[in-house]
Parts: sequence; structure tokens; C-alpha cells
Amino acid sequence: MSLDRFAVVKCLNLSLWTVFAAGLFFCSQALAHSIASDDANFVLSVDGPAVIPFIYLGAKHMVTGYDHLLFLVGVIFFLYKPRHVVQYVTLFAVGHSITLLAGVLADWQVNAYLIDAVIGFSIVYKAFENIGGFKLLPFQPDTRVAVFVFGLFHGLGLATKLQEFELSDNGLITNIISFNVGVEIGQILALSAILIFLSAWRTSASYLKHAFTTNTALMTGGFLLVGYQLASFFLVPVYL
Amino acid sequence: MTTEPTQTSSPKTVFTASLIALGVALVILFVVILPAELDYDPFGIGQLLGISGLSSGEAPPLEGQEAVHSTDYVEFYLEPFQSVEYKYSMDIDAPMIFSWVAEAELYYDMHAEPAGLGEEYAESFEQGTGAQKMGSYHAPFTGIHGWFWENRGNTDVTVKLYSSGFYHSSKVFSANDQYDRDISPVTQ
Repeated sequence: MSLDRFAVVKCLNLSLWTVFAAGLFFCSQALAHSIASDDANFVLSVDGPAVIPFIYLGAKHMVTGYDHLLFLVGVIFFLYKPRHVVQYVTLFAVGHSITLLAGVLADWQVNAYLIDAVIGFSIVYKAFENIGGFKLLPFQPDTRVAVFVFGLFHGLGLATKLQEFELSDNGLITNIISFNVGVEIGQILALSAILIFLSAWRTSASYLKHAFTTNTALMTGGFLLVGYQLASFFLVPVYL
Repeated sequence: MTTEPTQTSSPKTVFTASLIALGVALVILFVVILPAELDYDPFGIGQLLGISGLSSGEAPPLEGQEAVHSTDYVEFYLEPFQSVEYKYSMDIDAPMIFSWVAEAELYYDMHAEPAGLGEEYAESFEQGTGAQKMGSYHAPFTGIHGWFWENRGNTDVTVKLYSSGFYHSSKVFSANDQYDRDISPVTQ
């Protein structure tokens, strides 16, 4: 059996993974796609600075946002040194903070479905890179630049989620910054969970053996998100 | 500084894996996610699995009904400490709009009982005191749906109930009596 065929057989194993991914998708659907409706009512009722509630909402959005989480899994999959993890995650955090703050403050009207499709694509991109896809292409994109640019898009996604609610101008800056702080706290929590899981897995030989399959599954998840968000863009009626 | 967060694979493997990822994603999208989440089912697979429109969230703007709707008006009065219930029999998903207006504050409880299950399965939607209440109602199950009113004041209170909806019949429950009443539309 050639190596290629072996890899292809392994890829087929990912059906199990994708069922898992689909399950994750449905479970978090209500929570992750936009801020849950109970929270939405809360946001609408806020008039003035509310630091702790917005920190909580930001953290909750990150921890339950499977699209952000899958991207983080892709980013740190092959990062073994803590220094590198910190470096990449900082790039990502700086990227999404810029657009989150600027997007809400400047009231950028960007379609949430299209942004979420780009976020889905960022997962495909990172997974493609992880399986060695770019090494076969004539150009070698700088991973750090890519993570930073996708960070900008993730921030834009966060901004569109916050803008779905008519945030009161009273205490707006405090509330956005609180939300952003919450996002970073949520990211650290999620990252810790992912790192614990990956570190434990890395001690076993199965890690590298299944790295290819795992990243192919990750790519499937990315394609799923892109397809779902694009379909929503075209099919969900907008009442204004 | 070099970080190489990737592995090395042959072009054919990468190509095949990417193709499989895309293929599996498309299959999952068209078999379950699009039919269930967006009610988009170009191949009829969602229909076959019974998941079409499963979680497409909000109720559609238009929902057709089988029968002609009824319009009802009733006026009655409650003596101090007297209570009464007016209920309509409605099928699941039948809508109704209503207004009731009383001369003085009453205790009210808008609730419904599932058909054939009796009072212990009653579900209450709103309780409180007030002199009027207007709203729209969407029957969550087949059964009888309506209001309990109680006059906790010390004068007689006249109540007017207006409603339109897809209900079949009306029932009245008072302290020692229960009977079917004719639905009487507003004629003016």
C-alpha cells in the first residue's frame, strides 16, 4: 500500500470526526452564531457603562464560538513552544481587537454572514497549511501575517455581532472595551483547554500519525462553516 | 527565527485530502445542515430524513389555515369574589388575537389545557391583575385556551371580550356550572 493510499484511507476515517464536528455545530448553534437572545435583551436594556456584564458576554461569545475555537486549534496545532503560542495568539488578539473596536466605533455595516464565511475560510486556510498544502505551491504566505489578517476578520465578526443590537452611546467605549477584555479572557480559557488537550495528545505517538487526518477534519469543519454562512447569506430573508 | 507549523506531504495526498474535506462538507451541508437549518432542500434528502425546516428559527410570516376564522364578542359581569373562565377550543398552531376590557381591575390567568389531559396538565401563560389585556396568541397544543377572571374588589365589574381566531367552539366555566356557548360575532 502506498503512502498516498494509506493517507486517503485515513482521511475516510474522518467521517467519525465530522459527525462529531456536526454535533458540535448543532449544540452550539443557538449560542454561537449570534449573541443568545436572552443576552440580547440584556444588551438592549443597558444604558451606561456595564463592565462586568460585557466582560462576561465577550468571554461567553469566545468560549462558545466554535468558529473562533476551530481556528485556534488550527493555529496552535503545530506550535510546540509556549513562546510561539504566545506570539501567534497575540497577533490574532491584536488583529481582532483593532477591528472590533474600530468596527463598532465607526459603525461599519458589514454583512455578518459574509464575515462569518471568511472566518470559516480562515479555518480551511490554516488546516490546508497544516497538512503541508502551501509547501507545494510556488508562493509561501507568512503564517504570522495570515493569522494577523484573519484576526482582523474575526474582530469584524465580533463587531457585527455587537452591532446587531442598538448599543446605547452612553458608556459605549467602556462597554466595547469590556467586551474586548472578555473576548481575550474567553480566548485564554479556551486556549488553555485546547492546549491541555493537545499537550496530552502530543505525548502519544498517535498525534503525528493522526495530525493529517485531524487537520483534514478541521478543513471539513471550515468548509461546512463557509457553506452554511454563504447559504444563509443567499437564503435568509432580511427584513429591514 | 523559523517556525514551521506544518508537516510535509505529497501533492497528491494534500489534493485528495482537500477534495475529501470539501466533498464531506458538501454532503453534510446538503443532507442535514441546509435542510434543517435553512429549510433549503434541493435534493429532497431533508424531506426524506424528516429534518426539513427543523430549526429554521422564527415562525414564517404567513401561515395558512384550513377553515374560516371566527370572530367573537361577549359581555358579562362579575360580582365581588365571583370568578369565571372563558375558553376556546383550538388546534395546535391556531392563532387568535384578543382584547378584554373590564371596568375595574380583575385578577386574571391566561392559560390552556391540552385536549384529553385535564386540569393538572394546564399551562399558564400570564397571571396578574389588570383592567385590560390585548394580545395575540398561538396555541402551543390542541385543547382549550382562554382566561380565568376573578373579581377581588367590592363592586360589580363588567367585562367585554373581543376575539378573532381559528377556534371551533367556546366553553364557559363558572363556580358551579359549565356549558358550551355559541360564538357570537360583533354585528355592528
